[in-house]
Order: sequence, then structure tokens, then C-alpha cells
Amino acid sequence: MNCQDCLDHMADLADARLDEKTADLARAHIDGCAACRREYDSLKRTLEALDALPADAPSHRLRARVIGDIESEKLTLRRQAGWASSIRAAAHARRSRRLALLPLLLPALGACALLALGFMLGERTATQRQLADLRSRVDTMGQLVEQSVLQKETAGDRLQTVLAAGKDSRPDERVINGLINSMAFDTSVNVRLNALNALYAHADQEVVRAGVLACLRRETNPLVQVSMIDFLVAARERGAAQELRKLVGDNQADADVRESARRAISLL
Amino acid sequence: MLAVRDGDLDCMGELFERHHGPLYGYVAKLTGDRTAAEDITQIVFQRMLKYRHTYRDQGSFTAWMYHLARRCTCDHFRRSAPAPIAVDPSELEGRADDARGADESAAVSDEHALLHRALSRLDRDDREVLLLSRLQELSFAEIAGILECSVGAARVRAHRALRTLRDQYHRLQKEPLT
Repeated sequence: MNCQDCLDHMADLADARLDEKTADLARAHIDGCAACRREYDSLKRTLEALDALPADAPSHRLRARVIGDIESEKLTLRRQAGWASSIRAAAHARRSRRLALLPLLLPALGACALLALGFMLGERTATQRQLADLRSRVDTMGQLVEQSVLQKETAGDRLQTVLAAGKDSRPDERVINGLINSMAFDTSVNVRLNALNALYAHADQEVVRAGVLACLRRETNPLVQVSMIDFLVAARERGAAQELRKLVGDNQADADVRESARRAISLL
Repeated sequence: MLAVRDGDLDCMGELFERHHGPLYGYVAKLTGDRTAAEDITQIVFQRMLKYRHTYRDQGSFTAWMYHLARRCTCDHFRRSAPAPIAVDPSELEGRADDARGADESAAVSDEHALLHRALSRLDRDDREVLLLSRLQELSFAEIAGILECSVGAARVRAHRALRTLRDQYHRLQKEPLT
């Protein structure tokens, strides 16, 4: 091995990354060459000094912050699971109820009922499509949260978006779904409340009422919970009774929320 | 990480306990700023959580982690001022090259402080490859994956960085005490 070859391998030799055969050749050259020995010794000493550097240790705050992030993510996953199952349950309950009503309507109304049925089926198809869309969105919650919460928009910007959507007198499915998403997942109470207010004008749509009911289950802020209960009463959503009874019996729930739920049951 | 990807987030805590120390050490030496290093380390774990669905069982987890760390550190340097000089005296203690204290004479006499200063004088690219190859004990193949270059290029860069560090270190050793 000549000096140039030895220099090429020297850093790997000092770093113990050479195979044994090449390492032996390099060592043999270094033993017989004063210039290469000086170079090798200086590199070796630098590496030893580098290895001797004390390890930097982070403060205890780092552990607390990261464990907090992990726990938040777990909570989000649990809420997503609850939200997805509640939407599915709402859609399933409505489908069952309607299927139960059909045999009663048909013999009683005859030909007129057929026409009405056709209308209802058409409406249901549209509603089911929206519910299916919501379900698929919930199934891809990771992407949804990234879009709506982690997109770095300020709460003010998101509020502006919700307010603009609320002014739309004839919003399409995407706008309605966007408002329900904001009501469900936005971190700002103000944004969630305004999304709910914007949905008042569309309370006649089944998907909106199902969305508010599903959101009520996952909502933790008493102010928003009471507003949602008021919404369900105003929309005369009788399917909310079971959920409201749960709230009344929930000792962990806020006292005002329980009182609102009790009043709503009597009104419905 | 495969378990985390499949939804077992409890394993994320284990990954943190196993890897956060070396990762923090790497970022602290790379940035020379302990506060920023903690922030960056946290962001790396946040991104692991966020992008866990994208993790593939190819190559080592460690290499993937340092790849994320490199991106986060680049973001940090982009946001930071071009001359990373601490102007707030309270921050001086946290800087790697001044980590031994405010007394410069004492710091110069300290071999570790000298080496920290020599490291801080390297280009960021040189510092990065040196820290990865020596302190994190990654293979050149893994380093090449992290730096997005060939294995040969990673090796050459590491060797060049080591020689540059050696030269800076010797220069500082010969500098008169001020």
C-alpha cells in the first residue's frame, strides 16, 4: 500500500470501518511511514476527543411534551372511533325506522303512496350518499384533521371560512359537510359554535341533524353542548331522545348541560 | 415503529425512551442550541406520529428517524438568522461552543469546549455527516439514505469533515489565550 492509498483508507481505519485485510495493510504502511503515522495519530486523537464529548441530555420538559403529544394522539384516535361509530349508528337507525314504516304506508295509501315512496326513496338515496360521504371522510380522519386542524390556519381564518359558508343560502353537499366537519373537529369553540349556527338554516336536512347528534356525543365543551341540544330541539329531532337521556344520567356532565337535556326531552 | 404504524401508540413511548437521548444529542451538537434541540426533537416525534402511516419496513428505523431530524433541522436553520450568534446572555449557557460557561479562559482550557468550538466552526453539512458517522454510529449506507447521496459520497464527505475538524481543533489548541 502506498501513501495515497493509505490516506484514502486512514479515516476508515481510525473509525474501525475497514475490513481486516485492508486494515492490516494500512497499519503495516503506517508503521513504516513517519508522515502517514503523524496524520493517522492526529485523526485518531481527534476521533477520541470526539468520542469523549459528554452526551448532551435534554431537560425533563422534553419527555413531558412528547408524552403529552402521544396521549393527545391517542385521545384523538378514541374520539375518531366514537365519531365514526355514532355516524354509522345514526344512519343505521334511520334506515331501520324507514324500512319499518314502509309496509304500513303501502297498503294504506295505494297508488299515491307509491308516488310518495318514490319521492322518499329518491330523497333517501341523496341523504345516504351524503352520509356515506361523511363516513368515508371520518374513516380517513388522519387526513381530515391534517386539513382542518393542522393546516396552520389561524382560528380567525377558519372562523371567516365558516361565516362565509353560513351566508350561502343554497350550499351544496361539500359546504354542508365542511360545516359539519368544522363543528366536529375544529379546536376552537368559537368556530364550532358558528358552524352550528350556520347549520340552523339547513336543519331540515337529515344529514345535518345526524351530524349534530353525532357531534353532541363527542363534544366536551358545555356551551357547545347546550347549543347543540337547542338545535336538536328546534329541529324536532326525536332521534336525539336516547342521547339526551344518556346526558341526563351522566354524572360527569356539566349541570347546565344535564338540565338542558332534561328540558329538551320534555319538549321533544 | 411497525406496531405504531398499525395503531399501537403505546409503542411510541418505548421508541421515545430508546432514541430521544442520542437524537437530542445529535441535534444539540448540530445546532449548538439546546433549546432549539429540544424543540426539534419534539417535532421529530410529532412527525413520526403524524406520518406513521408512511413508514415502510425498509432500511432501519434509526435512519428514518434521522432523515426526519435532518428535515426538521433544515427547517430550523431556514427560520433562524443566517449568523447564529446568541445575543441574549441567558442563552449563552445553552450554546454548544460556550457550554462550559461564560468564562472564556476556562472554556478554552477545556478540551471539550475546544472541540465544541471546532465543531461549531465546521460547515453545517460537514458537522452533520461527522455526527451521523461517528456519534450516531450509522453505516455509510444509512447515512447515504439520510443525506440522499451515494454511499461513496457519504464516505468522502465524512472523511473530509473529520480532517477539517482536526485542522480546526489543532488551530484552536494553538491559539493564544485571550
